Amino acid sequence: MKDFNLEPDMEHMRDMTRRHFLRTSGSGIGAAALAMMMGQSDNAQAADDPLSSVTHFAPKAKRIIYLHMAGSPPQQELFDYKPELIKWNGKPCPDELFKKERFAFIKGHPKILGTPYKFDQHGPDGTWISELLPGLASMAGDITVVRSMFTPQFNHAPSQLLLYTGSAFPGRPAMGSWLTYGLGSENQNLPGFVVLVSGNTPSAGKSVWGSGFLPSVHQGVQCRTTGDPVLYLSNPKGMDRSMRRKTLDAIAQMNELKAQEDGDPEIHTRISQYELAYRMQMSVPEVMDIAKEPESVREAYGAEPGKGSFANNCLLARRLVEKGVRSVQLFDWGWDAHGTGPTDDIVTQLPKKCKETDKPITALLRDLKQRGLLDETLVVWTGEFGRTAMNEERNGSKFLGRDHHPGAYSMWCAGGGIKQGGNVGATDDFGYAITETPVHVHDLQATLLHCLGINHKKLTYRFQGRDYRLTDVHGNVIPEMLA
Amino acid sequence: MKLYISVLATIATGLISVSTWAEDPISYSRDIKKILSNNCFECHGPDSQARKKTPRLDVAEGAYAKTTGGITPIVPGNPEASEIIKLITSDDPDLMMPPADSGKQLTEKEIELIRQWVKEGAQYEAHWSYVAPKQATLPSVSDKGWVSNPIDQFILARLEQEKLTPSVEADRRTLIRRVSLDLIGIPPTPEEIDAFVNDKRSGAYARVVERLLNSPAYGERWAGMWLDLARYADTKGYEADRARVIWKYRDWVIKALNDDMPYTQFTIEQLAGDLLENPTEDQITATAFHRNTMNNDEGGTDAEEFRTAAVLDRVITTMQVWMGTTMMCAQCHDHKYDPISTKEFYRFYDYFNQTEDNDNNDESPTYWHATQEQKDQIAKFQKVVNASNNIIKKVDESLKTAKEEKVALNKEKQAAVKRRDFVKPQLDKIMASTVRTPVMVELPDDKKRTSHILIRGSFLAPGEVVTTGTPEVFHPFPEDAPQNRLGVAQWLMSEDNPLVARVTVNRYWEQFFGAGLVGTSEEFGAQGDLPTHPELLDWMAVDFMKQGWSFKDLCRTMVMSSTYRQASNVSPELLEKDPANELYARGPRFRLGAEQVRDQALAVSGLLSKKMYGPSVKPFQPEGVWKIVYNGDQWTKSEGEDAHRRALYTFIRRTTPYPSMLTFDATSREVCTIRRIRTNTPLQALVTLNDPVYVEAAQAMARRILKESSESTLDARIQFAMNLALGRIGSEPEIDYMSHLYAQALDTYKADADKAVALSSSWVGPVPEGLHADELAAWTVVCNALMNVDEFLTKR
Repeated sequence: MKDFNLEPDMEHMRDMTRRHFLRTSGSGIGAAALAMMMGQSDNAQAADDPLSSVTHFAPKAKRIIYLHMAGSPPQQELFDYKPELIKWNGKPCPDELFKKERFAFIKGHPKILGTPYKFDQHGPDGTWISELLPGLASMAGDITVVRSMFTPQFNHAPSQLLLYTGSAFPGRPAMGSWLTYGLGSENQNLPGFVVLVSGNTPSAGKSVWGSGFLPSVHQGVQCRTTGDPVLYLSNPKGMDRSMRRKTLDAIAQMNELKAQEDGDPEIHTRISQYELAYRMQMSVPEVMDIAKEPESVREAYGAEPGKGSFANNCLLARRLVEKGVRSVQLFDWGWDAHGTGPTDDIVTQLPKKCKETDKPITALLRDLKQRGLLDETLVVWTGEFGRTAMNEERNGSKFLGRDHHPGAYSMWCAGGGIKQGGNVGATDDFGYAITETPVHVHDLQATLLHCLGINHKKLTYRFQGRDYRLTDVHGNVIPEMLA
Repeated sequence: MKLYISVLATIATGLISVSTWAEDPISYSRDIKKILSNNCFECHGPDSQARKKTPRLDVAEGAYAKTTGGITPIVPGNPEASEIIKLITSDDPDLMMPPADSGKQLTEKEIELIRQWVKEGAQYEAHWSYVAPKQATLPSVSDKGWVSNPIDQFILARLEQEKLTPSVEADRRTLIRRVSLDLIGIPPTPEEIDAFVNDKRSGAYARVVERLLNSPAYGERWAGMWLDLARYADTKGYEADRARVIWKYRDWVIKALNDDMPYTQFTIEQLAGDLLENPTEDQITATAFHRNTMNNDEGGTDAEEFRTAAVLDRVITTMQVWMGTTMMCAQCHDHKYDPISTKEFYRFYDYFNQTEDNDNNDESPTYWHATQEQKDQIAKFQKVVNASNNIIKKVDESLKTAKEEKVALNKEKQAAVKRRDFVKPQLDKIMASTVRTPVMVELPDDKKRTSHILIRGSFLAPGEVVTTGTPEVFHPFPEDAPQNRLGVAQWLMSEDNPLVARVTVNRYWEQFFGAGLVGTSEEFGAQGDLPTHPELLDWMAVDFMKQGWSFKDLCRTMVMSSTYRQASNVSPELLEKDPANELYARGPRFRLGAEQVRDQALAVSGLLSKKMYGPSVKPFQPEGVWKIVYNGDQWTKSEGEDAHRRALYTFIRRTTPYPSMLTFDATSREVCTIRRIRTNTPLQALVTLNDPVYVEAAQAMARRILKESSESTLDARIQFAMNLALGRIGSEPEIDYMSHLYAQALDTYKADADKAVALSSSWVGPVPEGLHADELAAWTVVCNALMNVDEFLTKR
């Protein structure tokens, strides 16, 4: 908690300690609200540390949108063009590709699977992008594709945990939690870290947006498209907003009285948190209501009010970052292309998923760009690991698909601080091993934090006697990814 | 020993009055160790690999020794000749320490402290928590009348030193609410309050305490704390996160606590009940403690990978819970702050690496909780079903070739089917009524695993072979103890163990007072906080052991102290001087835990079920919260009283824990949690304002008011409500606020019958005969407000 990174406009708060806030919180805003604004925690540990030891550099990005294709898309069909695989298609793979390797499902001597899709080069750097993503291809000049990602994790849940919390085992804070802890929130009426899910909850469950050992104020808040957008947001049936106001006034009067008698500053914090809750009851439904968007915008995204679709979530992501939400995390289910049937193969399912997501992602990038938000917003697209160069053929399946492959995969990012139209890294002819600029998950995290003005080694939190950080004890910024 | 006492004395005097530091000699434990630990030990500490060939600074032998390069890191008494002073004051990026790229930096004040310490002789001291606790002579105090027990003597001595006086005793209403919430997790009833207020005999408070300690609800409340440590949950975790039947273990904990099982036995049975001679069903059930580790049922996982992960978790959790020591660093490299090597980690791992469980989807081995009668019956039914199935199969075979015998064969088949269909449901029923709990079973000697150092913690990279052993820095393994889990349990509970009693006492203190005497209740090693009242901690630790490790005695000692009984209101002056109440010049005041918040709302509304034990329940939860991949389980709301059981019986799914509890800082139970961090957030307000569980409670409480209040005036009813919710009589302005709210609400609901019906009955059920929806709705508003005032959510 010693080292802290603040935004430049918060520097005036540098000298204040949290304890000072506690003492003066009677004057209006509650200590925790202030603490939240500053991303500071509500526990005693944090109490003593002055914020004066800040070391930071100017952030390029202020916010981040993470687009996670849960299950992990096959890089061979989308970004990592491998003509050699097409030549070898259907042939038993070379021994070195499968001897000594661990597979989740592949048994025996697997056969190479060449991609059935065409690739073209796009953008100033000639980025290879598959015909499955025509929209994204038109934005090639804005994104940087990394084809040399790797992870030590091999199953969905642990690798998602590693990607979002820096550890393959549960218990650590998610990146979004680190960011609200480190940078605070720009909007007091909305949660600083919002999660939007289309389809099922991701494999690793809510731990991927949990606050771990950070105070729960930094937890990701799942905003839902059906039911209450935030759990328990709506007043009970029969209680309208005006009755709620009256109730809150009475609660505040009782609390004020108690604050005078008991003298505990925490009471004022509670008063302000109730007020914040009341404001959220307005601001959350408002921001979540995409019917407010012009039809042309909704159409560009392919969004339809009332649906829990990825398209709606992309549009919501823009609305949220526009309002100053620090981290928006999207999860989309259905990318685990094993090829056990038509719902998880690369011939039927993959084009379907690409079609569902290409349009909204393209619209999101364009929209952010048009509004001048892309310069200060990071957009990251990724799965949790790669897929094999070989056809999985589980139990002799006739559907084409690929098994898990942690050794190499592709992702892209765009926006604040990221090189425009770049390519990073390369893999061998089979797309199996990385031959150039390997990027570990911790390196990616370090790089993204860098874009947000944070030295990943300095954003720390003391827990169990150790200064923890998102990147654990690893991670290097990858200069090739930066503008 | 002398040295240690002087260390304690310096710790005790130095913690809060920073201003006195300059005058005292510098103390390694108090002033220096943490600076070096935070900034230097990562590379110059116990971790030999990180140290490479550079000097070791956590021990005098390393710091005073001349390196091969001819420099001496520390020359006692001579800062100028000490290399570390040169380096920590250097501006040269190639020389400066900590290195420029480390992200660490010493402050001016820290540099000055180190320089002064070196100048004064650079004396190292043993780490306080590794030296056995001893009961110091009780300090003398002036105000002897205030002292109820030795706790007070230590607290008061310190207060007098700081020129502070303790607060008055809390009034009886406040006190009985505080102690009830603390000891049994639910507030007192109006009758219990009256009885205490009107009990004019001496010892009234002690009698309340005894009643609470003997209440079955005591075990439920304290089980809540223990289950966080045990990472108890009703699912296996990871992707599929399927259900796990392990609630018998939860019930074991409740019973053990209610029976006041000594901590020694409590420990031995959980860690090694299966290794006791002729273990009972309960002793085997207790071993489920370490079967609460996660299982990965995801397709394509390597069972060995997650078996290893479970064993690592057992090692880490054991050290956390009993030793207050963070071991997880040492699974990959020598510990950077405490002298625990990777080899020692894996020697300890070897004790836990010898059980049969293997990340199997069926959770084997399990203990089958069935009586002999049930087992006999099952065997009997199973025999009938199997025999019938055999007949059916044989007949089907014969039918393929049969001609004239067809009729007879068909008759035979029909009879068999009939028999089977009659017996099968009975078999299913009795099977369902007997559960199987995952437990620990030791591998037979000829199947014991060989343990290796796992390089960087990876199961794929076994290194050197290791055998059982405990880290050298700790007390010795008892000579007569077996080299297995049972021996580990005996080692942990040995009276030579300097940590276990301190760690436990501190955790209990934290529950009562909001923070431990050692603030980092999870970490007693080099990186942990120093105790604010070291002699008090040690006195209680020794007392806990002397009293036979009784948790009830420990609770009694704490709640009977005058320190605990003080009023919790605070003057601006005292708040300024001691904002975090580290001196205890006032009573504890902090927000209730997640379980208490829920249980209290149900209790005051009259909805709370007293039913104990049994399978976990699924009270109301918003739709759509459970949507988990590869798992079709549904949250089907429990009916009847199971919808209103105490929070600890709520089904916990690790990947999607019960949302309102999580909002109040409960954990997902994926890993051992020693200390929950308390927060104060808007999402908590939304829970208690709008969650149907709390709306229903307000509706039910409204009905109680109208039915049970002896007088029917508005003021009397508001008093009744205040007494139910807050356990006290309302002041005049409070009555005004609430009656004003009531009047406004009544106007609203008189004008809108639909709204009135909705708010008064949406969750709790139709308006009972003789009551009016508008009045009930207005009372629901008042009750909803009362359940959201700070005082309701707070122990004070």
